[in-house]
Formats: sequence, C-alpha cells, structure tokens
Amino acid sequence: MGELLVLSTLVFIPAWNEEASVGAVIADVQTQIPSADVLVVDDGSLDATAERAREAGARVASLPFNQGLGAALQTGYLYALRQGYDFCAHLDSDGQHPASEVARLLEEVVADRADLVLGSRYRDKGDGEPADGDDYKPTISRRIGTSVFRFFLTLATRQRFTDTTSGMRAANRRVMSLFSENYSPDFAEIESLQLAVRQGLRVEEVPVRMLERVEGTSFLTPLRSAFFIFKGLIVLLVGMFRPRSVEVER
Amino acid sequence: MSALLLLAAEPKVSLTAQTRILAAILALAFMLLILELIRRDKLQERYSVVWFVAGVGMLVGAAFPGLLSVVADVMGVRDTNVALFSIVLLLLLGLALNFSVIMSRQAAQITRLAQERALEKARTQGPLDSNGNAPSAEGAGEAESQSSRS
Repeated sequence: MGELLVLSTLVFIPAWNEEASVGAVIADVQTQIPSADVLVVDDGSLDATAERAREAGARVASLPFNQGLGAALQTGYLYALRQGYDFCAHLDSDGQHPASEVARLLEEVVADRADLVLGSRYRDKGDGEPADGDDYKPTISRRIGTSVFRFFLTLATRQRFTDTTSGMRAANRRVMSLFSENYSPDFAEIESLQLAVRQGLRVEEVPVRMLERVEGTSFLTPLRSAFFIFKGLIVLLVGMFRPRSVEVER
Repeated sequence: MSALLLLAAEPKVSLTAQTRILAAILALAFMLLILELIRRDKLQERYSVVWFVAGVGMLVGAAFPGLLSVVADVMGVRDTNVALFSIVLLLLLGLALNFSVIMSRQAAQITRLAQERALEKARTQGPLDSNGNAPSAEGAGEAESQSSRS
C-alpha cells in the first residue's frame, strides 16, 4: 500500500441514476484508498447523481446523454490516461463493490504482477470455499449468462476466467492506452478481456467479496439478457479474427 | 453493343406509351424531389448521388423498356418481373446495409464527442471544496496544458 502514496492512482465510478448510493461509494473509496483521486463518470443521469458525487468530494465527468456502461468506462480510462495517472481502478456505483477489495486489486497492478486485474466473486479463495456465497447470491439468468460467457471467453482467450462481467477492475497505463482507444461500446466487459489477452497483456483474477445491491435494481431482464448474450457472442466471434497487434499508443 | 442486343432480343416487355410517359414523369419528379431536399438542407450532397442514380435508372427503364428483358436474359431469368424485383431488392438491401455502416460510424463519433466534452468539463470544474464552492482558476490552466498534450 505504501507505493500507492508515491504513484498516482485514479479510482473511477461509472454511475447512471445512482444518486442514492453514489455518495456512500465515494466515501468508502476515500476511506479505504485515501491516496487515490476519485472520478465519477455520470452517464447521462437524470437524477442528482452528479451533484451527490460533487458533494462527496469527487470529480465528475458528465456525459451529456446516456451512452451505456462501455462508453462510461472508456471515459474513465481516457481521463486516467490523459491526466497521467500511473494506475486506475473502477467499481460499480450501486454499492456492490467494497472499496477495500478494490484496494487489493490495485496492490496487484502496483506490484506489477499483472496489467489488468479483475475482481471475481466466483473464484475460490484458495481455501476450498466458494468465494463468499453468503454475501452474494446471483439470479438464475445472471448465472446462466455468466457460465455461457465463461465458456466462450475461455475458448477465445485460452485463459480461465470465472467472473467475466465483473465491473471491479484495476489497471496500469498499458491497459489505459489500449482501452481508451479500443473499447466496444456494446460489449465492454467481455471484449475488453479478449482484447487485453490478445494484446499479450497479463490479465489476472482475484477473488473478492461482493455485497448485495444497496439501491436500484439490475438492468437485466430476461429479454435483455438474451440480447446481451447474443451481442456478446458476436463480439467474441469477431474478436477472434481481429488482427492481433493493434497500435496501442496513438 | 447493348443496342445490338436490344434489337436482337424479343420484345418481351411491352409498355403502352401512356405507361412509359407516366414512368418518365415519376422518375423526373423523384429527381426534382432530391434536388429540392438538397436545396432545403435536408439531404447532404454526398448521400444524394445514389438516389440520382436510382432516378436515372427509372428514366432509362421508362425510355427503353426492352432493356429489362436483356437484363433478364443475362441473369438467366425467364420472367422479367422476377429480374426487376430481385435487382431492386438487392440494391435496397445493399443501401440499407450502407446506412447501418454510416450510422455505426456516426454513433462512435457521437460517443467520442460526448466523452471529450465530459472530460473537458471534469478538468475545468474540479470537486467542490468543503464550503460547497467550485475551486477557481488553477483548474482551467490545467485543462489547457492537458488538451495540448492529447
């Protein structure tokens, strides 16, 4: 953790209509990772998300209209890259992700054990127990979607991932420059992993503890889930035939 | 070359003079509509070319209806109607795909534009200080140096 004080870190939080929870998430990050700057990417919220975030002491990048999670995350990576941060991390704005776990992900990238670290709620913690099944109970559709993606992503990257749609990640500058240019607005989570692995970046999963949602509901309805999975499969299929080395630095 | 083929071909397609005049008028009206849309800034020139080509095609079809049977022969289709419909259908399909491509590109451009604006604002207006006031000048200077770097 000492290194975090010397090197600059940005923690960004994509938020869409999360006025009820965003303040608490920011406070959590400020307590657990005091050395990091906090940026809230307000994805065209219609409520007071941006105001709550500013009151809580975060910087706010407000997209003029809702662009989807992928575009919001890319905005965060772009900000981190341009402002010259050494490391960045992001977590969900609904209170599912404890900042203490984000700090653990950051330690991995700061120690240069990986370029991109994902927080996984499924991967075993090593002691044989599934990662905190008591804290986090995924819905059926979520579980099916997750296993479908897990299978195809493993096929595409030849690396085992358990929590493919995890919205808790930490990254270094190599990942920032890759993601700020090449990030599918439609299917951020999966394609970004595939992209990073294909670029030869070290992607690592770390088991984390996640909580039940504090406020709001998941955006996944059955129909949307089906559409989501369909889009994901197309993205993975196309990604397999993309040229392997894209220009990373502009 | 095509004129020779035209003479050689059986006159499978026969339209009355009335129909041909009507078709020609429709084609001309269509092209006038395109011009009017451009004049009123509702259509950009670069997207009008394809519609002019379509208008010219309609005009040619009205002037030389025998041409269609030549095309049908080349395609190996016995029924000229089938030839006409399949050509039109394929062209429209291609056009619709072309528009999806243009739309996707513009969606990506709009996203990047939105991101740039959001970043610009985030740089200039930092977090509120403890009194709830926006911090002053230094943010603006920082934004300038950052934008020159990017």
